[in-house]
Amino acid sequence: MAGTLSEKNPRAGTTGTTSATAISVRDLHKRYGEVEVLRGVDLDVARGETVCVIGRSGSGKSTLLKCMNLLEPPTAGEIHLGGDLITGSGVDVDAVRTRVGMVFQHFNLFPHLSVLHNVTVALRKVRKLGGDAADTVAMTQLERLGLAGLAHSRPSQLSGGQQQRVAIARALAMEPEVMLFDEATSALDPELVKDVLDVMRLLADSGMTMIAVTHEIGFAREVADRVIFMDEGRIAESGPARRTLEHPETERLGEFLARVL
Amino acid sequence: MHLFLQTFFNPDELLKAFPLLLTEGLRNTLLIAGLAIVFGVVLGVLLAMLLLSHRRWARLPARIYVDVFRGLPAIVTVSLVGLGLPSAGIRPFGRDPLGYAVLAIGLISAAYLAEIFRSGIQAVPSGQLSAARSLGMSYPTAMRVIVVPQGVRNVLPALAGQFIIDIKESALVYLLGLGLGQRELYFIAQERQAATYNSSALVAAGACYLLLTIPLTFLVNRLDLRLRNGGRKQNRAATAPTALPPAPSALEV
Repeated sequence: MAGTLSEKNPRAGTTGTTSATAISVRDLHKRYGEVEVLRGVDLDVARGETVCVIGRSGSGKSTLLKCMNLLEPPTAGEIHLGGDLITGSGVDVDAVRTRVGMVFQHFNLFPHLSVLHNVTVALRKVRKLGGDAADTVAMTQLERLGLAGLAHSRPSQLSGGQQQRVAIARALAMEPEVMLFDEATSALDPELVKDVLDVMRLLADSGMTMIAVTHEIGFAREVADRVIFMDEGRIAESGPARRTLEHPETERLGEFLARVL
Repeated sequence: MHLFLQTFFNPDELLKAFPLLLTEGLRNTLLIAGLAIVFGVVLGVLLAMLLLSHRRWARLPARIYVDVFRGLPAIVTVSLVGLGLPSAGIRPFGRDPLGYAVLAIGLISAAYLAEIFRSGIQAVPSGQLSAARSLGMSYPTAMRVIVVPQGVRNVLPALAGQFIIDIKESALVYLLGLGLGQRELYFIAQERQAATYNSSALVAAGACYLLLTIPLTFLVNRLDLRLRNGGRKQNRAATAPTALPPAPSALEV
C-alpha cells in the first residue's frame, strides 16, 4: 500500500493523466448464457486514482468489478494489471487476486474465525507468513482502522460497520495494488454508512487506487476523481466526478441521477 | 412379573456377562466403530467434494457410490465384504473378520456422511468462497480452511447421528464369526443367550451400547452449542468497554 492512512498524500492525477496505469480494461465482454452483461467496456485507472462506478442494478457494474479480479472470468477482452496481462490462458489467477483487494456488499467475513484470524488467514495460507509476522501485519491494519480492540471478537459480535471495516483491513493486509469495493455500504444501516465511507475516503487520500461500485452519490462527488456511469453493459458516460454528477451530458445519466438524488 | 425379571434382569447372568462385555466386548466394539468412523469420514469428505464438483464426470461416480451403498441393507454389504471378498481370494485383512467389518461399515458410513457433508457445505454462503478466493487462496485451500470447517459445524448433530448408527452396526460383524479376543458386545451377549436361554446378557450389552452412544450425543450437543454461541463469553469481555474509540477519530490522527 502506498503510504499510510494517516498521511494525506497528494492525489495522483485526476483523470488518468499519469503515465502509470494501475488497471486497464479493453473491450471487455461478459456473457452468462444468452445474457450479455458486459458489452465492450474500456477503462483505464491510473495509480492512486479513485473511480466510482454508478448505474442502475443490472447495468453490469458489479460484474465489471468481479471481472477485474477474475472472480468472474471475462468472456472476451483484455485486462492489464500494472502492465501485466491477466486475462487469457496460463494466468495464475490466485497470484492476480493477491494484487487486487476486494470488499463485498455483505462483508463476507469468515464467521468461524476471530477478527484477527480473518485478517491473518490469507497472510499465512497465501503469503506463507509465520504466525507472529502475520499477527503483526494484521494488527497494524486493524489499528489503522480503529479495530484493534476487537481483534479477538467474532464477526457475529460486531456491528455491520465494524464488520465491513474488518473486511477492508483483511483486504489491505495483502497490500494490494488496487482495491475494489462492490457496494460496500449498501447492506449497512444508514448510521453505520459514514464509518465505512470515512475509511474509504482516508484510503483514497492515502493514494490507494480504488474502484468503487456505489450508490452513495454524495461520496462519489466528494471523494472520486472520476465517475463512471454504466448502462446496459457499457460505459455510458465518464468524467471528473463533480462535473459529471452536476452536469451530466447524457440523458440516461440525468434520469438516473434525478431518480437517486 | 418374576419370569420377566428373571429373563431380562437375572442378577447372576448380569454379573457374569458384564466383566467380559466391559473388557473384550467394549474394546472391540469401540475398535470396529472407531476405525470405521475414521475411514468413513475421510472417504465421506472426498465423496462430498466430488458430489459438489461442477464436472459431471467427477460427480457421477460419487453419486452412484452414494446411491448404491445407501440403498443396500447393511447386512448385505457386510456379508458381501466380509464373506464375499475372502471367498473371491481378495483378503486384504487375511482371516481377521474385524478388518472386513471395519471396511464394510466404513463404506456404508461414507455414503451417508458424504450426503451429510455435502448438505453442510452447500449451506455455507457462496460469498465465503468468493471472499477466500479474492484473497488469493486456491480452491483447495479455500475449501479446506474456510468452507469445509463451516460446513462441518452446520451438520454436527447429523454427524453424531451417523456415528451412533456406525456404533450400532458394528454388531453385524457377528455374521463373520469371531474368535476369542475378537468378540464385540453383541457377539458376547448372543453367545450367552444361546447357551443359557436367558436374555440378561443382551440387556447388559444394550446398556454398554448406551454407555457409548448417550455420552457421544451429549458431547456433540455440547460442542454444537459452544460453536453456535461462537465465543459468546469473549463477547462480554470484548464489548464491555463499549466506549471503543470510534473509527473516524482513531483514523484522523
